[in-house]
Amino acid sequence: MFTPTSKNGLRALKVFYGLFVVFLYTPIVLLLLFSFNSGQTPVFPLKSFTLRWYRELLANHELLGALRTSAEVAAGSSAVAVSLGILAAIVLVRRRFFGKGAVSALLISPLVVPYVVFGISLLILFQALSIPLSIITVMIGHVVLSLPYTILVLVPRLERIDVALEEAAKDLGASGWRTFRSITLPLILPAIVSAFMIAFTLSFDEYAVASFVIGRQVTYPIYLFSQLRFPSRLPQVIAVAVLVMTASILVILGTEIGRRMAERKLGAELESGPAGQL
Amino acid sequence: MAVATPSEAPAAADAARPGRFRSWLAAVGILSPPVSWLVLFFLVPIGIVAAYSVGALSFFPGDQALSLGGWERFFRGSIYLSLFWKSVRISLTVSVVSVLLAYPIAFFLALGAKKRKYVLLLVIIAPFLTSYLLRVLAFKVILGDEGLINTFFYSLHMRSPGHPIPWLLYSQFTVMLVLAYVWVPFVALPIFVALENLDQSLLEGASDLGASRWQTFWRVTFPLSVPGVMAAFVFVFIPTIGEFVTPLLVGGTRGFMYGNAIADLFGPGFDWQTGSVLALFLLAVTAALALVFGRFLQIRSVAAE
Repeated sequence: MFTPTSKNGLRALKVFYGLFVVFLYTPIVLLLLFSFNSGQTPVFPLKSFTLRWYRELLANHELLGALRTSAEVAAGSSAVAVSLGILAAIVLVRRRFFGKGAVSALLISPLVVPYVVFGISLLILFQALSIPLSIITVMIGHVVLSLPYTILVLVPRLERIDVALEEAAKDLGASGWRTFRSITLPLILPAIVSAFMIAFTLSFDEYAVASFVIGRQVTYPIYLFSQLRFPSRLPQVIAVAVLVMTASILVILGTEIGRRMAERKLGAELESGPAGQL
Repeated sequence: MAVATPSEAPAAADAARPGRFRSWLAAVGILSPPVSWLVLFFLVPIGIVAAYSVGALSFFPGDQALSLGGWERFFRGSIYLSLFWKSVRISLTVSVVSVLLAYPIAFFLALGAKKRKYVLLLVIIAPFLTSYLLRVLAFKVILGDEGLINTFFYSLHMRSPGHPIPWLLYSQFTVMLVLAYVWVPFVALPIFVALENLDQSLLEGASDLGASRWQTFWRVTFPLSVPGVMAAFVFVFIPTIGEFVTPLLVGGTRGFMYGNAIADLFGPGFDWQTGSVLALFLLAVTAALALVFGRFLQIRSVAAE
């Protein structure tokens, strides 16, 4: 059996990986540290341990409001993006048609447009149509940004589902909608959840595009950015950041583990005979 | 509306394999919601920007009526063009450094680590999914005048307090460091996928034919991973070339980038026409890149299964 690295090579790679993880996590750990530090500014040496910033942020209505707005924007935009993504992915995987190449290029193209360009384009569009800026306009933008990601998650999943399952359902008299609901949808559910989580995280954290099309009611990243100018607010900002970061890492780990478990179960079921599915 | 549409297509297909035309019609039917969304909120806005850049459209009195003047000024040695090249240099450096850092990681995960590779990959990806602004902010804590690095030097008496290392924060270096930090986890993904999908028997074949590990790497493994590397490169270069948030936070005046100029023209600078020219030029560059590298940007190159 060929091993691509020598023992020492593998050891070197392991060390490099370790250093890399340290590099990636040092800033995050520092934020965690300073969120419990009683000093007004995040500088060394550390002062004493405190929960003051966490207490204060719970009383900061502006901040809580911004978090809530972001959650709404993220939930709305990911729901739309995932619905649109399911439609697109099903057609891209299951059908051949004239112009497929162009359509899939269009669906993926928001990935290769710098956010600043997209942001100002939307701003000009809304200005041209005299649509007032609000969280709705931010949501519209976020759907465009998330859509390619949802398709990228859903397509490989759909490809792995045996078309015979859907065909069998139809042969047994199921309507198109029923086939989708009872066969396709349950099978791609883990991927739908992943796609939703990715879209949600993207939107919840999105600053660049939102900064151009936001109205009076601000989202969490916009609020955060505006607070960075006031040094006295920094500890609170760091504390809320730690909370949001922890929550998002937990949610992502949770869905990822859930998805893998579901995939394993699905794999076992498919191997034991697709007939069991119907 | 979005949920009801899937019923049409399979139903249409069900109608005894109709003609190709009906099948095509069904595909169009299901595709129309996502495609129209992108046309309306993505393609049309870009078209409007193009119109605005030549004065075919104007909302404010300062704009010039129908002329290529904006474009002419842009190409005739404006400060914006040199700012563009500066941003290209920054982005190129960031992309190259990120790829160089990410390659060994992806190699280790795909070919070195055995069972736990997905867990180890997740460890690398997780920071990418946390707040972008906050990771940038963290660097202010590290690189600031009273930050981790400067206080470390103060405590060793290698620098006296009040005299921090000048290029550590608010410089081009800082922008590049932070951008590389932010993007490197994302870069590892497509390279990992390319290496992971590599046919291992090719490596064994090379070694059976007498190639050393090093030769196997350069003659087989690396060439086969080039598509992943290319995809990774483009996926960092495109977002970083238009970057404006990171320079705003850690770049100072020296780290000012092309994206900042665009954001400024649509903000305090208030010259939407020039801004449209700049934005459209940037879009043309990234679109050209995407076309050239398009064949590497397969769906599977970013979708880690």
